[in-house]
Amino acid sequence: MLIEVAHYLSILATGLFFLCFLFAFILSAKDIFVINLVSRVYTHGFLFLLISFLIYVWLAINDNFNVLYIAQHSNTNLPTFYKISSIWSAHEGSMFLWIVFLCLWGVIFNLFTKNIQDLKAKSLGVISFVAVGFLLFLLLTSNPFLTILPIAPENGADINPVLQDPALAIHPPILYLGYVGFVIAFAHAIAFLVNGDPSIKWESLVRTWSISSWSLLTVGIALGSWWAYYELGWGGYWFWDPVENVALMPWLAATAFVHSLSVSIKSSLLRIWTILLSIIVFSLSLFGAFIVRSGIIDSVHSFANDPERGLYLLGFIAILIVISTILFSFRLSILASKRNIASFSKESFISINNIIFGTLIFSTMLGVLYPLIYEYLYDQKISVGAPFYNAIFIPLTLIAGIFLFFSIDSKWQRSVKIINFLSPMSASLLIAGASLFLINYFLAINDYSILLSVFVGILILVRYMFVIYEYLFKRKYSNPYSIIAHLGLSILIISIAFNSEFSSERALNIRMNESDTYRGYDIKFDDLRLEKSSNYDAVIASFILNGSDGRNFILKPEKRKYFARGQITTETAIKISPLKDIYMTIGDQLDDGSWIVNIQLNYFIRWIWFSAIMMAFAGLMLAYSLVRGKR
Amino acid sequence: MKPQRKRRLTTVFLILISSAFGSFLIIKALDTNLDFFFTPSELYSQNIPDNKRIKVGGMVLEGSVKRDKTNIIFEITDYKNSITVNFNGIVPDLFQEGSGVVVLGYMNKDVILAEEVLAKHDENYMPPNLEIEK
Repeated sequence: MLIEVAHYLSILATGLFFLCFLFAFILSAKDIFVINLVSRVYTHGFLFLLISFLIYVWLAINDNFNVLYIAQHSNTNLPTFYKISSIWSAHEGSMFLWIVFLCLWGVIFNLFTKNIQDLKAKSLGVISFVAVGFLLFLLLTSNPFLTILPIAPENGADINPVLQDPALAIHPPILYLGYVGFVIAFAHAIAFLVNGDPSIKWESLVRTWSISSWSLLTVGIALGSWWAYYELGWGGYWFWDPVENVALMPWLAATAFVHSLSVSIKSSLLRIWTILLSIIVFSLSLFGAFIVRSGIIDSVHSFANDPERGLYLLGFIAILIVISTILFSFRLSILASKRNIASFSKESFISINNIIFGTLIFSTMLGVLYPLIYEYLYDQKISVGAPFYNAIFIPLTLIAGIFLFFSIDSKWQRSVKIINFLSPMSASLLIAGASLFLINYFLAINDYSILLSVFVGILILVRYMFVIYEYLFKRKYSNPYSIIAHLGLSILIISIAFNSEFSSERALNIRMNESDTYRGYDIKFDDLRLEKSSNYDAVIASFILNGSDGRNFILKPEKRKYFARGQITTETAIKISPLKDIYMTIGDQLDDGSWIVNIQLNYFIRWIWFSAIMMAFAGLMLAYSLVRGKR
Repeated sequence: MKPQRKRRLTTVFLILISSAFGSFLIIKALDTNLDFFFTPSELYSQNIPDNKRIKVGGMVLEGSVKRDKTNIIFEITDYKNSITVNFNGIVPDLFQEGSGVVVLGYMNKDVILAEEVLAKHDENYMPPNLEIEK
């Protein structure tokens, strides 16, 4: 009964959003009565959708297996937390959540801005249009409200055990919040283009929204990377899987967008770029949804293949892109700036940054789509792996890093002489060069790309140390959020370089009570026991490791067999320290009774996620300061 | 030609040249880093150089799995031909005789030295190219 109510409310919400779209675009949006109407209709549409979703959550918590989707993805034995997260463990439910979040951004925007604000009605109209498109997709091709009649199954299936994990329960919601948050910027860009008045500063209106979405997207991606590291047992943080790439592309575009946005706000330059980027960011977010949900690319993440869904999504995304592009090309002339960008100004460096990010996005897109094109043309299956992405990302990131370094001395809107001998810049170059020499001397690194990466990373790090010193003690103004975010970038570059240089692994063949050594660690196979848990059986091994520094610790990797699906999973055991992780997994038992065990030393891996947290933190703090500044 | 138009033309020309050059570099990087996918039968009909990283997919031949300390040796089959694979390390949880597998590695005297062994998380999974043939 409740499920029908939820279903009905969702349909009602779709209708209201459609009305909202019609009102916003057909009635005169200058009329305050119309704006009030649009705003109110939108809020009610969202309210219906929210109640519908909350009912759904309620049904999932109470094991209502009359609902087909809940019966297939949840189980009476699951803790409540995972009963809720089972909603977004597969296609229909996660799409539902995605749409709720999309509309949530809209309603927050609606409630926290005054109705007289420029472009408000039309922006809400655009958001409603997108919401209607996806709600129809949900209701027509992937309905989560379908029921099993007349008799419901007793226990339900289970969620995939690798998904029964706290990081993975919160990874999709945060990632989705990041993805769909760019709808605010997109909607304003479209509303601005429709309106056609170049004096409206749409860029300032969307800054807070865009920065917060960018931060959430950063956290979402980092969470996924962290989860894959400890759960899948491969020990890496990034696999260049197509689905990771479709999350990376909107992130790259969004990073370029927030930079371009600040130029447009400061000096009304790059406005064409900014508007184009806002369209690209949102299109790439939608493209990600298409790739994951159509199943056209084989990936560990992909949901079940369904050509009908893929076709619908592709069609809707195409409509959005075509409309945006037509509008964009018609309004190009109103955006053109009379002024040129001064060379060596901040704007010029951000333009270069945009070009580099554009190239990275283009290359990633090519890497994702090339196997499809190649198979179509030559009837030969191929895949594009890490070597290609490394060949593109390493040099371009380093070039971007060097430009970032020079940009710190540049000024807005004017060209200043930035090459100066007795300056923090040359001091940084000297310090970075000296530390590179020491690193090379003591650590004997021979790989040029690693050395260069470390150099660029240290260069940025040291340069910002000077900036922080001047900021704190000489009261010279700089943007603290920019400092934190870019320090994050330098730490990211350095830790990735050291990680790929020093990390190593080995498979050991070891019996109970025997010892082996690896890189200064004595490894003793101490114990092995079986343990029963509520929904799985586990084999837990216990190893005592003795470091050459005299410290010892115990690692307990395990293997689990889940009852509901008979699936076997590997649970890693990790000893975390700031410098490196010691990471163990167990494999199979051989006929002679010995076990295969894998040990990895992963250097600087924590710093990779820490740098992402720094960037996201900087973004959220900036967003917070902008919100507070308005009041 | 007006000087302004001439300048604009030069700019457009420069942009075109540099993006063409950039695209050329990217495509070149792409072409030298592709992993080709083969079935065991395709491996026999083609000559694959040792230094080319390839992917091979098929089923793990029943009774072919041998272990030697941390090494695992098995055969991948497409029910017409099979090829021996040598891998050092832990195979995925879903790896078993008679189920689907994809390996990534290099050819060395009719043996594949695998760097990665992947088994899809799905009991109904069939490696590509094999679905019709079985």
